Amino acid sequence: MKHIKTLSSKNLKNTIVNGGCGECQTSCQSACKTSCTVGNQICENTK
Amino acid sequence: MRNLHKFKQNDKNVVLDINSGSVHVVDELIWDMIDLYVEKALEEIYEILSSKYDTDLIKEGYEEVKELEENGILFTEDSYIKDIKFNEEKIVKALCLHIAHDCNLKCEYCFASQGDFDGDKSFMSLEVGKKALDYLVNNSGNRRNLEVDFFGGEPLMNFDVVKELVHYGRTLEEEYNKNFRFTITTNGLLLDEDKMNFINEHMSNVVLSLDGRKDVNDNMRKTINGEGSFDIIVPKFLEMVKLRGDKDYYVRGTFTSKNLDFSKDIKELYNIGFKSVSVEPVVTEPTQEYAILEEHIGDILKEYDKLSKDYINIKRKDEEFNFFHFTIDLNQGPCAIKRVSGCGAGVEYLAVTPEGDLYPCHQFVGDEHFKLGTLDTGIQNNKLVDEFNKANVYNKDECNDCWARFYCSGGCHANAYNFNNDIMKPFKIGCEMEKKRIESSISILANLND
Repeated sequence: MKHIKTLSSKNLKNTIVNGGCGECQTSCQSACKTSCTVGNQICENTK
Repeated sequence: MRNLHKFKQNDKNVVLDINSGSVHVVDELIWDMIDLYVEKALEEIYEILSSKYDTDLIKEGYEEVKELEENGILFTEDSYIKDIKFNEEKIVKALCLHIAHDCNLKCEYCFASQGDFDGDKSFMSLEVGKKALDYLVNNSGNRRNLEVDFFGGEPLMNFDVVKELVHYGRTLEEEYNKNFRFTITTNGLLLDEDKMNFINEHMSNVVLSLDGRKDVNDNMRKTINGEGSFDIIVPKFLEMVKLRGDKDYYVRGTFTSKNLDFSKDIKELYNIGFKSVSVEPVVTEPTQEYAILEEHIGDILKEYDKLSKDYINIKRKDEEFNFFHFTIDLNQGPCAIKRVSGCGAGVEYLAVTPEGDLYPCHQFVGDEHFKLGTLDTGIQNNKLVDEFNKANVYNKDECNDCWARFYCSGGCHANAYNFNNDIMKPFKIGCEMEKKRIESSISILANLND
């Protein structure tokens, strides 16, 4: 494509099939302890 | 514009397809056209944009947008997510163990009231700690990965119990087919070689509290004698990080309205030698003089902007530098279900006091209204657990229309409660900061991908 560079073609819809296993880290246990940031957590299914 | 969020930062035009999570960097033509694409026919778009672009160019751009739409990565509807149910069984998989309700620092902004959470100073006994780990194993259903953060007050003040609990946890792992991930959050004052070695051997992550510049740190983080802690702590943390090798750590600071130029603190931490850094806005009641208020938001957003520019420059030279809130994995981040359900406080994540009382998270400890039960009785306030379980992005009015809902997942309940007296009403200033951090993270990736 000349006008668009796709950084991510993720489709969250596809993550529902195998998602929700609940194995990933609780966000507040990572570093923050005072703010909720889920978007930067790592999925255990893709490790 | 429906289902899209677009923004410009660090010389990039970014279009985020909210519901699919796809991210596109676009040129000026697409930037101008994408709003029109939804509502206008191609002929009308020619007319509107004709003064700026050739017809052939517009047609070319139009076809590219159409292709992304057909591939399901633009203008995606979110109807598929709304009916998701998560953790209806109320499985518990993470505990914040308040190992010590006492602290050897007297930080001005401490939400734990200098460690005791407005109660008596106390240490968790080994017996209570073991009960907590048993409780976790017994309520964790089919979850294999269990998280335990040793928290305080200052957990190193009760380190013998920490060590015993780690050993006890390891004995439970095999018996129940679980994997404990232990972490510790410490001010570092009592760190010595033995403690460092133990932590490095057994803890999957360690959070080291330090605010940044010496004067900023020492203004808030004071010793019992009222002196600054920077000079005592920094050498210990440097040694700790050196010994830690490849294992995870974060040097974590807090910024308040007293240091709205906090990007300097983040860069100072990096310059001192810390590669993994998190500096976060203070959580407190709006009445505190150092509280972050609406009037500060403009300065804070500019500061994130500034930091993102510097971050790109540093990252180009040093890939290892990692600022927690600028970390984003667009391709392999959490699933939609995790993004909708949020931090899990009050349901899958609980805080345990030294006495064995259960709270939704560490931020609510000491507020009797939020006591959920005890390790002996189990959860007694099921109504409150249900309230926390329902506090997801689809049940919060403000989140429903927000483009960032799948990144912050509804925000911090404690922030919401502190400012709005209601966990269902997000803390607006926190939302603005989070949105800026997400935009910054994406613009950074876009630049580093060039």
